[in-house]
Amino acid sequence: MSATATTTRSPASPLPIAAEPPRRTPRQLATIYALEARYEMLKVLRLPMFAVPTLAFPLVFYCLFGLAFRGGGPGGTPMAVYLLATYGAFGVIGAALFGFGVNVAMERGQGWMLLKRATPMPPGAYFAAKTAVALLFSMLIVIGLFTLGATLGGVRLPTDTWIGLALSLVAGAVPFCAFGLALGYLAGPNSAPAVINLLYLPMAFASGLWLPVEALPGWMQQIAPWLPAYYLAQLGLGALGLPVRVSAGAAVAALAAFTVISLAIARLGYRRDHGRTYG
Amino acid sequence: MRTSTGQRLRTLLLVLAPVAALAAFFLLLPTPEAAQAAAEGAGAPPPAAEGTFAVTGARVFDGEQVLPGADVLVRDGVIAAVGPDLPLPAGVPVVDGRGKTLLPGLIDAHVHAWGTALADALRFGVTTEIDMFTDPAWAAEVRSRQAEDGNPGEADLVSAGFLATAPGGHGTQYGLPVPTVGGDTDADAWVAARQEEGSDFVKIVIEDGHGLGLDLPALTPERVKALADAAHRRGLLAVAHVGTLADAETALAAGVDGLVHLFLDTPGDAAFARRAREAAIFVVATLSVLESLADGAGGPALAADPHVAPRLNGGQRAGLAASFPPLEVKGGMAAARQTVANLAAAGVPVLAGTDAPNPGTAHGASLHRELELLVDAGLTPVQALTAATAAPARAFGLDDRGRIAPGRRADLLLVTGDPTSDVTATRRIEAVWKAGQRLAAAPPAAPAAPAAPVAKPGPGSISDFTEGLAVRFGTGWMPSTDARMGGASTVELSPVDGHLAIAGEIRPGFPYPWAGALLMLGDPPMAPVDLSAKRGVRFRARGAGTWRLMAFAEPLGPMPAIRTFEAGAAWSDVAIAWEELGVEPDRLQGLLFSGGPAPGAFRLEIDDVALDAARTD
Repeated sequence: MSATATTTRSPASPLPIAAEPPRRTPRQLATIYALEARYEMLKVLRLPMFAVPTLAFPLVFYCLFGLAFRGGGPGGTPMAVYLLATYGAFGVIGAALFGFGVNVAMERGQGWMLLKRATPMPPGAYFAAKTAVALLFSMLIVIGLFTLGATLGGVRLPTDTWIGLALSLVAGAVPFCAFGLALGYLAGPNSAPAVINLLYLPMAFASGLWLPVEALPGWMQQIAPWLPAYYLAQLGLGALGLPVRVSAGAAVAALAAFTVISLAIARLGYRRDHGRTYG
Repeated sequence: MRTSTGQRLRTLLLVLAPVAALAAFFLLLPTPEAAQAAAEGAGAPPPAAEGTFAVTGARVFDGEQVLPGADVLVRDGVIAAVGPDLPLPAGVPVVDGRGKTLLPGLIDAHVHAWGTALADALRFGVTTEIDMFTDPAWAAEVRSRQAEDGNPGEADLVSAGFLATAPGGHGTQYGLPVPTVGGDTDADAWVAARQEEGSDFVKIVIEDGHGLGLDLPALTPERVKALADAAHRRGLLAVAHVGTLADAETALAAGVDGLVHLFLDTPGDAAFARRAREAAIFVVATLSVLESLADGAGGPALAADPHVAPRLNGGQRAGLAASFPPLEVKGGMAAARQTVANLAAAGVPVLAGTDAPNPGTAHGASLHRELELLVDAGLTPVQALTAATAAPARAFGLDDRGRIAPGRRADLLLVTGDPTSDVTATRRIEAVWKAGQRLAAAPPAAPAAPAAPVAKPGPGSISDFTEGLAVRFGTGWMPSTDARMGGASTVELSPVDGHLAIAGEIRPGFPYPWAGALLMLGDPPMAPVDLSAKRGVRFRARGAGTWRLMAFAEPLGPMPAIRTFEAGAAWSDVAIAWEELGVEPDRLQGLLFSGGPAPGAFRLEIDDVALDAARTD
């Protein structure tokens, strides 16, 4: 925090942002949103640091735990079926947290945000593009998992169950996009990957994403209901028609509340950034 | 303009192509129906798809654990979804399960099925019966019904067909000619013949009768192992009937997959349980039949249960009322209970099985008593229920049933109350579904149409022996002994001085020895007659000792109902009501006046055999 920063903070923004945003036709807006999403996608694809682990981790884990253990999971459900829901949740949460959290923190660090704000692009396009990429990656993870399950895992489900699980998982990425955004604003560019991994991996384990909750130690089962990933896993298991501990309605409510809290934190971070070094 | 149209088309394609690809992906993902169709190939069309419904708000016991309040959606006879507050498709019929418990259809892991057994079982929520010895031709008929339309009115049959036993050994005494395994029998050829007949698994008898005070020929340990190996080579389970702990050790050494009985001679201790666990076998407890062998009180108590009685038919009532001939049973129920507790503690899968329709048991009904006995032995109600659902399904590789989970067959039992805390609640049956088809809530099915006409009783007096063996009713008298079953007892009937002398000798050789005079009530012989208009039978008897009157009735199959009576050195009057005999009088076939079972020579005289007066009520 430098002295200059203090002097330039208020009353007005130091950057030449127009007080009144320029009027654009809906078509122009759509083009801007589409272009930003497209380049966000290109950027992510050219960053193997993000794309490879995000896509590969859930698939590799699924192979290790879902396909190698041919036995039954809780209630005799084949592990290959059960873990579709939980590794699906693990995958989409990863895509959302890293796609948002790490990228936002890094782009803040690189001063990229400053530049973006200097352009006539509406700020919404930036977040929309990141959301679109996270959802696209989520869908890719789901497709990969389903392909593995159907071919190697011998999973057979009614078509509407396949679709229901896919929709639950992809939609379930949204709350974690919000959480990722909050983390991206709270963490610095270099610490973000570490912070997110420290939150993501233990949360995934304690929420029953790797092993069924029933297989976890008792104290961890007590913690699970306080973790958002637990509710996404329950939503996915419910979509499969498996026995769940939380009804779909309750899970959606919990995830919605989590989204609101995350967005509120992100908003605080965004405000704090306004005019700061990383801003 | 042209560029603009081109761009629009391109944008449209860019949007539509991924959407179409995504739709194609989801449509290509495999579904259970597709898998089933592929498995069936170009075979018969699947059974009619009417089994679509939901049970809502019930406590669900899924085969292993309890979900406090959940919905279960069934589609086309298969469980589609399980969970709280399921979104139900519009128009699906809903069964309100609040205050009730939904369980997987029960599986009885040890029965002997023929006749109406499978329908009798289904009325009690038993949707699968695992048969340990029946006529393979009958089993084949049942299998063809199952393949044709799912056989919705009867429980499914999984059967061993013929059992493997030594010539003259246990299993040969029931009148069915059994292909035995003798010194020159090739074990593999024997198993191959069973597989050819359609046997689902192989049952091997390891029993020399010593546990029951008998002496029977038995398979050698080498033959047992050869049979088990042959079964395994052919992809079949090999299970063993054992009589004693020593037999059980033989079975373990032979590498069988399970024991279908407990032994009674001694409790199986923790060390035995550990060995059983290491051998990864399962054990069918059959406490119901062991209880009947030990004291015979369980059957009548079950028949008197107000939740059980209305579902019983005549054959089941008679079976529950019947008792074993007195046998010398060592150890008894206390040993069996201890064994169950030790096995369960060691983690050996304990399966519920009844051995119906042995005396004191009945298809379907007795499995509910078995659950209670398992809990008495120390299992929790949930463990006992698992022993009658998920555990037997797993043990016998019945992957399509035994659990309430998506993709499993909708074999379901809905009961009032909570059997996961009070296991006797399973008797309070609300509804039974087999593969999604609800069993009509009708009173017990009437007995199947008789093979021979059912005659009405004639005059009261049957024989006064003034004209030899002449009868005024039925086909007449004939000598009957266990020689028919390989036993060695003898008998001679001589009408003398206006009465009938029954003289003979009971000799060891058959587990349930008998010798006496058989009165065949029907014409032709052994055709059933309806004597429900009469109270019972009365006669005069002379000959010091305890004698047996055995009643054969069609629903009982080859096992008679037995009642003992006393006689002295002077003539005395004996009257025995049908109820006392433990037989339903509507399909009686014959009455046998017999000596035994204790070995030795005997002489019983009878006279003035008559049907007792009509009931006054």
